[in-house]
Amino acid sequence: MPPAEPALAPAGDAQLIAAWQTGDERAAAELVRRHARAVARFLSGAGAPEADLDDLVQETFIRAFRAVATFRSQCQFRTWLLTIGGNALKDLGRRLARRRVVPLDERLESKDGDPHERTVAGETEERLRRGLTRLPRMQREVFLLRAQQGLEYGEIAAALDTTPGAARVHYHHAVKRLKEWLQ
Amino acid sequence: MMHDADGVHDEALRQVARRLGAAAADRLDVERTAQAVVARLRAGDAPARSPIRWMQPGWLRVAAGVVLIIGAGLLVYRRLHLPPETGVVPQVAVAPPGEFLDFTSGQLQDVLNGLDSTVEMTPTVHAGEAGVEDLSEPQLQSLLKAMED
Repeated sequence: MPPAEPALAPAGDAQLIAAWQTGDERAAAELVRRHARAVARFLSGAGAPEADLDDLVQETFIRAFRAVATFRSQCQFRTWLLTIGGNALKDLGRRLARRRVVPLDERLESKDGDPHERTVAGETEERLRRGLTRLPRMQREVFLLRAQQGLEYGEIAAALDTTPGAARVHYHHAVKRLKEWLQ
Repeated sequence: MMHDADGVHDEALRQVARRLGAAAADRLDVERTAQAVVARLRAGDAPARSPIRWMQPGWLRVAAGVVLIIGAGLLVYRRLHLPPETGVVPQVAVAPPGEFLDFTSGQLQDVLNGLDSTVEMTPTVHAGEAGVEDLSEPQLQSLLKAMED
């Protein structure tokens, strides 16, 4: 068994970010461990194909670490990561659309995974996933940040560079449309 | 329950949303992802430096300056240290290019004549092309005399 890397003392995201900025790769790895699943859930909910999920999560963190100097703690690091993930997913959608194999919305709907698991997960979940891919991006991201990640409107607004009031309106529009599709 | 008489509750929708993507996230190998991210960050630094940096305009200017300095130094060295070439080709006074614009048509004609005479006075004889039949009578006689001696 290879010797384990020396463990980092428990630290907050801010300390880990500061450590990464001085070149500490262990800090970067720890940040990935902390937030990768949340990023994966968000991306999957936003329509990322499961086959591309790992690459998208990696791409999200790469972009974040390279641009970490622009992170001003306007929101939590995780929330900032999720918005970067949204951009990475949008870029993937553009690349897929350029290939013109099938329509973008269909490509972004996840059709991977074990069919049995998907059955167990429920038809409603699948319908919600499909409904989300039909929403405008802002409504989709606000809905996921609010309903899936449990964030407050102020936090969502800071991450998406909008106002809490506008975020609330986006959320309610999203809920209204999703209800219509789910009924 | 998702449905009731009023349709879908927000809270029920949130519960479904919270489950969304959970299975896919659970399948993610977080440790492998962390190592892959670190490896990509590490690899991302190296190529950014080497070839592109040499293509920066500043570096190109420096390289061009070095070439100019070396070239000028060689020219000065040759002028100062090497003896001037001695040849049979008569020197034709050639004005700097800009000064030709001020020449009269007669002066230009003189320059052209000078160039013509230069070409005529330097015949080129390639190896294997010259033969005894190309020599004039006095040259043949002197050649024979030299052979007799």
